[in-house]
Amino acid sequence: MAALLGLFKGLCAVNNVLLLIGRHVAWVALATMTVIILYQIIMRYVFDLAPNWSEEAARFLMLWMTGLIAPSAYRWGGFVAIDTVVRLLPRALAAILALILLVLALTVLVVGLRISFAEVTGFSGSFATAALWVPLDLVGGESFRVPRSWMMASMLVGIVLLILVNVEHILRTVVQLIDPEAPLPVDKHLMAAGAE
Amino acid sequence: MLVWFLPLFLLFLMIGLPVFFGLLAAPGLLIWWEAISNGNDRYMRDITLLYRNLYNGMDSFPLMAIPFFMLAGEMMNRGGITMRLVEFSQAMIGHLKGGLAQVNIFSSMLFAGLSGSAVADTSALGSMLIPAMEKQGYTRKFAAAITAASSVIGPIIPPSGIMIIYAYVMGESVAALFLAGIVPGILVGVGLMMMVSYQARVQDFPPATKRATWAESGQASLKAFFPLMTPVIILGGILGGVMTPTEASAVAAAYALVVSLVILKSMQIKDLPNVFIRSALAASVVLLLVGAAMSFKTVVSLSRAPETLAVFILGLSDDPLMLLFLINLLLFVVGMFLDAGPAIIILGPILGPIFLDLGVHPVHFAIIMSVNLTVGLATPPMGLVLFVASSVSGERVETIARAILPFLAVEVLVIFLITYVPAISMTVPRLLGFVQ
Repeated sequence: MAALLGLFKGLCAVNNVLLLIGRHVAWVALATMTVIILYQIIMRYVFDLAPNWSEEAARFLMLWMTGLIAPSAYRWGGFVAIDTVVRLLPRALAAILALILLVLALTVLVVGLRISFAEVTGFSGSFATAALWVPLDLVGGESFRVPRSWMMASMLVGIVLLILVNVEHILRTVVQLIDPEAPLPVDKHLMAAGAE
Repeated sequence: MLVWFLPLFLLFLMIGLPVFFGLLAAPGLLIWWEAISNGNDRYMRDITLLYRNLYNGMDSFPLMAIPFFMLAGEMMNRGGITMRLVEFSQAMIGHLKGGLAQVNIFSSMLFAGLSGSAVADTSALGSMLIPAMEKQGYTRKFAAAITAASSVIGPIIPPSGIMIIYAYVMGESVAALFLAGIVPGILVGVGLMMMVSYQARVQDFPPATKRATWAESGQASLKAFFPLMTPVIILGGILGGVMTPTEASAVAAAYALVVSLVILKSMQIKDLPNVFIRSALAASVVLLLVGAAMSFKTVVSLSRAPETLAVFILGLSDDPLMLLFLINLLLFVVGMFLDAGPAIIILGPILGPIFLDLGVHPVHFAIIMSVNLTVGLATPPMGLVLFVASSVSGERVETIARAILPFLAVEVLVIFLITYVPAISMTVPRLLGFVQ
């Protein structure tokens, strides 16, 4: 039990750091998306010069925003579910059902990990984006178009983080099943960001 | 075999699997099982398609309106703008029978033009109006019930998150849906006001405040001017062809930022990261759901489930009016257990094609679904806004659920009016040329 609790606390600590970084990158991505779309409107109407990269850049950021912050929502119970049955069951049965559901969710995520890794490193990811460039010419290098794999990696990273959170949920359920009184770590940021 | 994905999905849902995982697990498991049964080892190709559609479903410019509208709503909510809307409503209609209850409903109608979220409405208006109503002599359960009931106007009057989702999943015009939601939203508000007025006559409601003077009304209007301009900017931009809905949503977010930060000074720069994080959190869940819905939609069409369901539904009756009645019942029951967004994502691709074949206009059907499922947010046992109203007021959910019944009756009546009088939703988009 002590080893299990230690493993759980260790994973919680790792997730605390990773998800905190994810949330901060995600909010900056959302703010940047807003600025890019406003820039697009101003350029089109004021200067009659619509940029060709803005929509794709904003989509790029939206995908990364989702991949990086959705695991926090999952950790804080933000994923929509009907939990009436689980709440009606006795504690032990509810925990066993919750474990089965978590294992099912983990299966979905592991299959997703395998597929998204193949997509990022395979044929689909070998193409370049339509209008996004890395302007290395500004620093004396050679510019190149952003590979699609950089965009698709948002799903891969998102799934990896979701798997970490899912394993944390599994460990929490197992610990509570064995010892309902076991002291469990609390995510202090829950209240600050409010994922209710 | 694949036709079983729907019952399997419902089973997963009922036992508590999050909708996002259920949308992928049910078809994925059946694809795998069918392949194994037939000795076909190429099932990974189909499952890869499922995940590819999840990614492609999220990689969408129109869908970007969702995080932007959520951001605008969050800023309006945080920026003390709610108080200005309530003061404006108080000055306009505070003297009517049922004073503060009427103000509550009217504020929800105004708030709907800013946020499009029933939860944000209940939380923002409830925390301000429920204590004020109690102080004036209303019971707490009544105050919480009218707050929850009126908050469902939020996603009906544009801008509306669920209408953006419906438009994207079903390939409809966002502008047409926004326009079609205006009159039904006002109708729900007016219906609730009439019910409050009736209750004020037959029950012993606290007296209304005296009518505001012209000077007081003018001052309240001036203070609410900037927030009230938000829907004008959004709808004006979209309908005038100046901006796409996504661009309009980004402008709304920037406008809300300027109003809260610079003009009203009701928010500080240090509040911004939290506001952005909350918006991104909520948006990410919706975006994942929409992505999964696009995978689900592919399987829905491959499985021929709509055709099977259509045969069943058409077997019940060949009268479209009766079928619409039955479908409203179904949607109402679904709305009791599931939030409006996920319900639209799941049921839209299944029910939409059946009713289009029966001659129901797609925009009309979208409004029937949206309004019905939105009202479901305030119905027990799983109505989300009931829980929010309970947490804001401190009143028990069961007590609020009983007190809300007269208002739900009004909303059900409005649902049937919208269903059987298509002109209620179709006239405005038709007049403005957004619907043929």
